Amino acid sequence: MADRQSALLALTSSALLLPAYQGVRADAPPEFTELGMRYSKYEEDNTRGSKTFGGSSERYEIDAAQFHLLAPVLDDWSVAVDLQWEDMSGASPWFVGQSLDGGPKVIMSGASIEDTRTEVSVTTRYYYDRGNAGFNYVHSDEDDYESDAVALDGAFNSADGMTTYSAAVSTSRDDISPTQGSVPTNTLNDDKDSSSAWVGVSRIVSKNAIVRFGLAYTYRDGFLTDPYKKNDRRPDEREEWVLGAGYRQYFIWPDGALQADYRYFDDDWGVASHTLDLAWHQNLGERTQLIPFLRYYSQGEADFFANVADTDQRYFADDYRLSAFGAVSGGLRLRHEIGDWALSAVGERYETDESWGVFSGDESPALVNFWRFSFGLDYSFR
Amino acid sequence: MGGPCRLRFACADEALAARAISAAEAEVRRLEQKYSRYLPDSLVSSINRAAGTRRPVPIDSETAGLLGFAHTLWQQSAGLFDLTAGVLRRAWDFKSGRLPAQAAIDALLPLIGWDRVQWDQGSIRLPTPGMEIDFGGCVKEYASDSAAAALARLGIERGLVDLAGDMAAVGPGSAVEPWLVGIRHPRRDGAAIASISLAAGGLASSGDYERCLLLEGKRYGHILNPATGWPVQGLVAVSVAAPQCLVAGGSATIAMLQDESAALQWLDALGLPWLAVDSALQRHGSFDTTACGSTDR
Repeated sequence: MADRQSALLALTSSALLLPAYQGVRADAPPEFTELGMRYSKYEEDNTRGSKTFGGSSERYEIDAAQFHLLAPVLDDWSVAVDLQWEDMSGASPWFVGQSLDGGPKVIMSGASIEDTRTEVSVTTRYYYDRGNAGFNYVHSDEDDYESDAVALDGAFNSADGMTTYSAAVSTSRDDISPTQGSVPTNTLNDDKDSSSAWVGVSRIVSKNAIVRFGLAYTYRDGFLTDPYKKNDRRPDEREEWVLGAGYRQYFIWPDGALQADYRYFDDDWGVASHTLDLAWHQNLGERTQLIPFLRYYSQGEADFFANVADTDQRYFADDYRLSAFGAVSGGLRLRHEIGDWALSAVGERYETDESWGVFSGDESPALVNFWRFSFGLDYSFR
Repeated sequence: MGGPCRLRFACADEALAARAISAAEAEVRRLEQKYSRYLPDSLVSSINRAAGTRRPVPIDSETAGLLGFAHTLWQQSAGLFDLTAGVLRRAWDFKSGRLPAQAAIDALLPLIGWDRVQWDQGSIRLPTPGMEIDFGGCVKEYASDSAAAALARLGIERGLVDLAGDMAAVGPGSAVEPWLVGIRHPRRDGAAIASISLAAGGLASSGDYERCLLLEGKRYGHILNPATGWPVQGLVAVSVAAPQCLVAGGSATIAMLQDESAALQWLDALGLPWLAVDSALQRHGSFDTTACGSTDR
């Protein structure tokens, strides 16, 4: 006989590789129809008076309502429908000018912009023994913008079930027709296309830990300039690369999981960025989860960015989103189940500062801080 | 699944109960259709049909997992558990009342040998024509666990799957309200030799009561030694409890394949609750049991 002390360990560890002991079937359609609703509010801080011409200015505010339906269909399929309505209002930076004291100041687009956006997304997914494959179509419509996107994705599990390979391709076409009236716009009607490909691999490295890596490439072409900014002319092509890595580890005590993700972004406009995400998923009993999270972001400026744009150049932009800055955001997510219902709530604060980044550059006076709150209710038809 | 199967669970919602019953039943039928050697369309039948050909038969991760478990049983039993030993069935007819001719057994022995099977995570090939694999020793136990997992996925918090004596409890279990499970008396049909409290996990039993020959006062059980082709003179019945019915069943099978004293030692060292009945019908084991009737002949 083999060493008796190890017999139980050997039998148990080889048994646990079988799918019946993996908690859920590796690739199975959802067991129940799920219905969810969510309301979110996004509110930017007003720009401080010292940074604008014309005093303190109200910035963007977005109210969003989301509806989600996921249903198993036949034996091996699922269908998901997501609807989203957004109501946006507020003023956005129009351009940055040199003030008399030498510092750059923002000129806001005077009148408040009002816009609503409607998005419909439909996903069908097929589940087979060793993986799943999905098809997704999204249509988004707002006053000055219309977008259609399709995506295909697939996941394939290795024979031992420990490694999952994933890949996705997507393409979208956007039509831009800026609302006339508030500020002069850079175009009357234009469009842009984008295509992306993504490959990823994740591996279970121990009973309680999983690592994953991913690589994405996106190509955009068309009218990439912001139509509402006075000093903005961007190249009509952009190539982007993203390299990501993530780690999840479950700890039996205190019944929680650590999630750490890192992303490196690089493009041919000279923008590069680092993103570090940390989250702790704490189980409180069987039905409650508390998830504090923290994100650090740092980006470098685009080659053609300048706080006070030189409009004699071929390309120029004073958009704070292309400047160098660092940002920290943190918040708390709560999920609680009551019978077939699940309540969820999120509160998040995002703050940004030029000096927090690892890249150097001029501080944009238009950098923005915001709050985000979200409340959701889900129901499972058991 | 070679015997009566029962499903017991508590559920207040009638529609969910109906879904749970059909999900558990579908899972058991799925595994039977995949692994039964009696069904010509099963994966096992196509693996066995391809024996001796050059063509490896592709397998999925679940089958590779079961082969891996069978391989562990082979290792832990020093070769006494052998997935290819089922061919001895061709020589042993326990209903005939006659012992097989030694020549018939000798003709089958070359077809036995798990170590000669070529398999990996994606395929399997049996090298000799006539060679067979038979998952009889573990599929029923695995199906109990898998059906219990199907019930748990639907939110059933307390239940018991019983596939002809191989049982898996659903849910975290309760020490206050454990399942009271009867262990079959090896010599008296329909009687229990003991009853066991099962709070969670699985319970599996193996015994020579299933099929045997009685000749000139000697008992020939259906547990056969793959090296000699003859019945093992070992324990009469073994029950083991484990977090998984599959592990319980594998342990009980390894115990049944050894001679009495080695089996009792092996079970003692294993570290799981167990109950064994020896050839003198004496009970041994670590189970906290309630005796049912006497253990006399």
